[in-house]
Amino acid sequence: MDINAMVVDDSGIMRKMVMRGLNESGMASFTFTEAVDGQDALDKYDPNTVQMLFVDWNMPNMNGLEFIVEARKKTDHHIPVVMITTESTMAKVEEAMEKGGVDTFVCKPFTPDALKTKLQPLFEKIEEDSENFFGSLAG
Amino acid sequence: MTSETQQKFSLPHSDSVLEAVKEVFTMTCGTEATLSDADLSDKMLDGVVIAVISIVGDVNWSVFLGLPRSTSEQLAKSFCGFDVEFESDDMGDVVGELTNILAGTCKQILDKRGVDVEISLPSVMRVEGIEILVQRESTSRKLFFESSVGCFWAGVVSGKNPGFVA
Repeated sequence: MDINAMVVDDSGIMRKMVMRGLNESGMASFTFTEAVDGQDALDKYDPNTVQMLFVDWNMPNMNGLEFIVEARKKTDHHIPVVMITTESTMAKVEEAMEKGGVDTFVCKPFTPDALKTKLQPLFEKIEEDSENFFGSLAG
Repeated sequence: MTSETQQKFSLPHSDSVLEAVKEVFTMTCGTEATLSDADLSDKMLDGVVIAVISIVGDVNWSVFLGLPRSTSEQLAKSFCGFDVEFESDDMGDVVGELTNILAGTCKQILDKRGVDVEISLPSVMRVEGIEILVQRESTSRKLFFESSVGCFWAGVVSGKNPGFVA
């Protein structure tokens, strides 16, 4: 499975850690687009090419949730969103998940193994949805 | 913490910083950070990365984390899973991120006590031969720690109005 993912974080090292963790997970073959805050992400975000979003919560200019709200307006197609968060924003992330803006979250600090364990169900769902989509086209 | 250390620092709720440091350090490195009564200032002479973050609301604090060169390099490796050079921009990101997690953990502890606060984005500096000065009439608490990856310090400064005391 090939995934074009966007990683949005004001910390360069966190972007590196997310990308490295995903590459090492073996869950998919990734290509990445990086953004340094919500506004930068919104400028770069193309729902026709980006298949998955990894978004930090606390960023300057535009925070992660504000970006997700704006990104959702660009397409009716559901793009999976993984929020990268700390314990302090967990309540807000859970609220965002209930409202459907966020699919799952990863709590910092994390290891590549923890990232894989946390995201495996989401990737299985993406693969299943993709098979169903192409199956419906073939049928 | 010794009774002497407890007496020395009487800033309400500042024990949340100590608790948060220990929790974050265990999460990040899997080893315990031990509070030390020794003055470890001479260990800071080879360069230090310092990050400061504001915690404001019912209390008004600046929380800071200071890591000497060797500690920051080992801690960064443990946090990232790969080497990070002391002089690199990545080191600033690592220490900023750790401080963000530290402040977030403080917020979580304070929330449970009914102390409502928000946290800012961190500011990170890399310096040599630094001495921290605080404004007169402010209250500060500086904590020295020793650990398997080296020594470091964390602290909190409260302004003239320390805010609500639960």
